[in-house]
Amino acid sequence: MTEKPSSVAGLGKVRLSQDRVAGLTLIAVSAFALWASSDLETGTLRFIGPGMMPKLLAALVGVTGTILLVQSFLMSGEAMPRIPLRGPLCVLGGILAFALTVQSVGFAIAAPLLAVIAGLADRDMRWIELLGFAAFMTIGCILVFKVGLSLPIPVLIIPGIIQY
Amino acid sequence: MDLLSNLALGFSTAMSLQNLGLAFIGCLVGTLIGILPGVGPIATITMLLPITFGIDPVGALIMLAGIYYGAQYGGSTSAILVNIPGEAGSVVTALDGHAMAKKGRAGAALGISAIGSFIAGCVATVVIAALALPLTDLALRFGPTDYFALMVMGLVFAVVLAHGSVLKAVAMICLGILLSTIGSDLETGQARMTFGSLHLADGIDFAVLAMGIFGFAEVLRNLEGGEQRDVIKGTMGPLLPTRDEIRRSIAPILRGTGLGSVLGMLPGNGAVLAPFASYTLEKKLAKRPQDFGKGAIEAVAGPEAANNAGAQTSFIPLLTLGIPPNAVMAIMVGAMMIQGIVPGPQVMTESPTLFWGMIASMWIGNLMLLVINLPMVGMWVRLLKVPYRLLFPAILIFSCIGIYSIDNNPMDVVFTGAFAFAGYLLIKMGFEPAPLLLGFVLGHLIEENLRRAMLLSRGELSTFAENPVSLILLIVSVGLLALSALPSLRAKREKVFVED
Repeated sequence: MTEKPSSVAGLGKVRLSQDRVAGLTLIAVSAFALWASSDLETGTLRFIGPGMMPKLLAALVGVTGTILLVQSFLMSGEAMPRIPLRGPLCVLGGILAFALTVQSVGFAIAAPLLAVIAGLADRDMRWIELLGFAAFMTIGCILVFKVGLSLPIPVLIIPGIIQY
Repeated sequence: MDLLSNLALGFSTAMSLQNLGLAFIGCLVGTLIGILPGVGPIATITMLLPITFGIDPVGALIMLAGIYYGAQYGGSTSAILVNIPGEAGSVVTALDGHAMAKKGRAGAALGISAIGSFIAGCVATVVIAALALPLTDLALRFGPTDYFALMVMGLVFAVVLAHGSVLKAVAMICLGILLSTIGSDLETGQARMTFGSLHLADGIDFAVLAMGIFGFAEVLRNLEGGEQRDVIKGTMGPLLPTRDEIRRSIAPILRGTGLGSVLGMLPGNGAVLAPFASYTLEKKLAKRPQDFGKGAIEAVAGPEAANNAGAQTSFIPLLTLGIPPNAVMAIMVGAMMIQGIVPGPQVMTESPTLFWGMIASMWIGNLMLLVINLPMVGMWVRLLKVPYRLLFPAILIFSCIGIYSIDNNPMDVVFTGAFAFAGYLLIKMGFEPAPLLLGFVLGHLIEENLRRAMLLSRGELSTFAENPVSLILLIVSVGLLALSALPSLRAKREKVFVED
């Protein structure tokens, strides 16, 4: 995966400024936080209410975002780098699969599942090697966390048969 | 003498069989993970945080300190052997360390870095012990107004010393504090920005955030790179430096230790400057400055000592004032909170065994690194050759089970994934995650102290100007911020960080 220096995110050959994306993101976050904290009482300087800090900070985030946005129009900065999707999708998919299975089926299944799904992120994955390594890691983690530290982690649950 | 009896108490705590064992395991696994290319000390500590949960507070902190030193040491080892610095601090080590390794003197580079780090560690431990009492006394006299100003100054330092854009660092700090306000309000108990979620009512879990934006986001970033590892082939050479090399290194080590000890105490990650400062100083003083960059042992010894001294004295603001100066110390705060200890000046008086035990264990940890790790260099080299395609699934499995075990809640794992993606996007937009974490950790303290200060002054903002301590701190902050915006200084600041 070699990245060409000229490659940019976005449509066609439009060069997207990194600062512009950053500024717009901060403004969006700020707007969202202002909306989320709108029901909280601001209070006065003497009796600061629960809403003052969130609103103040959201506003500050918005101000920095606006400055970044304005700056991006005044001077040319770096371009927004390309964001490959394959890596994040596979890794996050694996994490999600782990979260969904760890409590219902157990760690002994969830961990290899995570390794296999996340492993898709690498095009040159050698599967036998990965499976072997995942098995080794799974057993290692069971020994450390369940046996060694005696944390209550469900290792393998097959309803009616095994509950460890 | 007070200092001696305190240190005696510390050593009797740290020398118990259990704590010695924990320090040993901490140093070992810290090195083991920290040496992996692309895994810095912050990611190492967050990954290993869960294994300390079941241990009593003293033991857990001793182990964490061990993990920290191990990770630091691992970072310099991979910098010397593979030329991949795990953190900003070992960038300088990589320059001449790797050049030495190419000349077949890898062993000597590792040896002098371990010896330099050990000497620096010994001195820094004494500095911490000596400064702990007076600084704690001072901190206990601080009111909420002073505390608020102190934290503002810490955050300003963090902005000034951050890489890249000042504006973006400010945005990250604000975002971090904003994230910290999610959850129940400290005074009224009202749910803030939780969207009715019970999971968010307790606020965002520190370990979840840290693991997401540091651990996992780093995995995502590393996955992109067609990474190139330049693992040293051929001979390592003897581990012990020659007599001549030792003679040339002594003065740089001592100067580096001094520089590092002072810079490490600065709020806002002053420690990161220490190796750069030491390198520059040694180059100016050297008889043959033209050798620098081509494998000069002075350029390994000085910066390594400075790095380690700074890493250690950065505990001072945390232990005495309760204010973490950098992201690693922010993680230490998180770890202490999980153990039920609120960092601050009261720790020393309320649990002296913990306080002095931890300080004593710093020295023990440094000694252990010297004794354990040098003979194991061969094994570390083999570890460096594990390809990333196997490394990242292992990191993921280990971290996921760790996150799950915090609360036995799979939702935490989902949140970590979400933060990882957010952190990855932020990095792409040119933001640094470290100031965000610092803001997040200090958020509660800042809000609490501001509210208290305002209540005491009946809503008069002038209280910050009337109070001499807070006035000075705030003037320093404003001055620094203004200076960092000056174009000439900006250019210099970029030059300092240009190498990473």
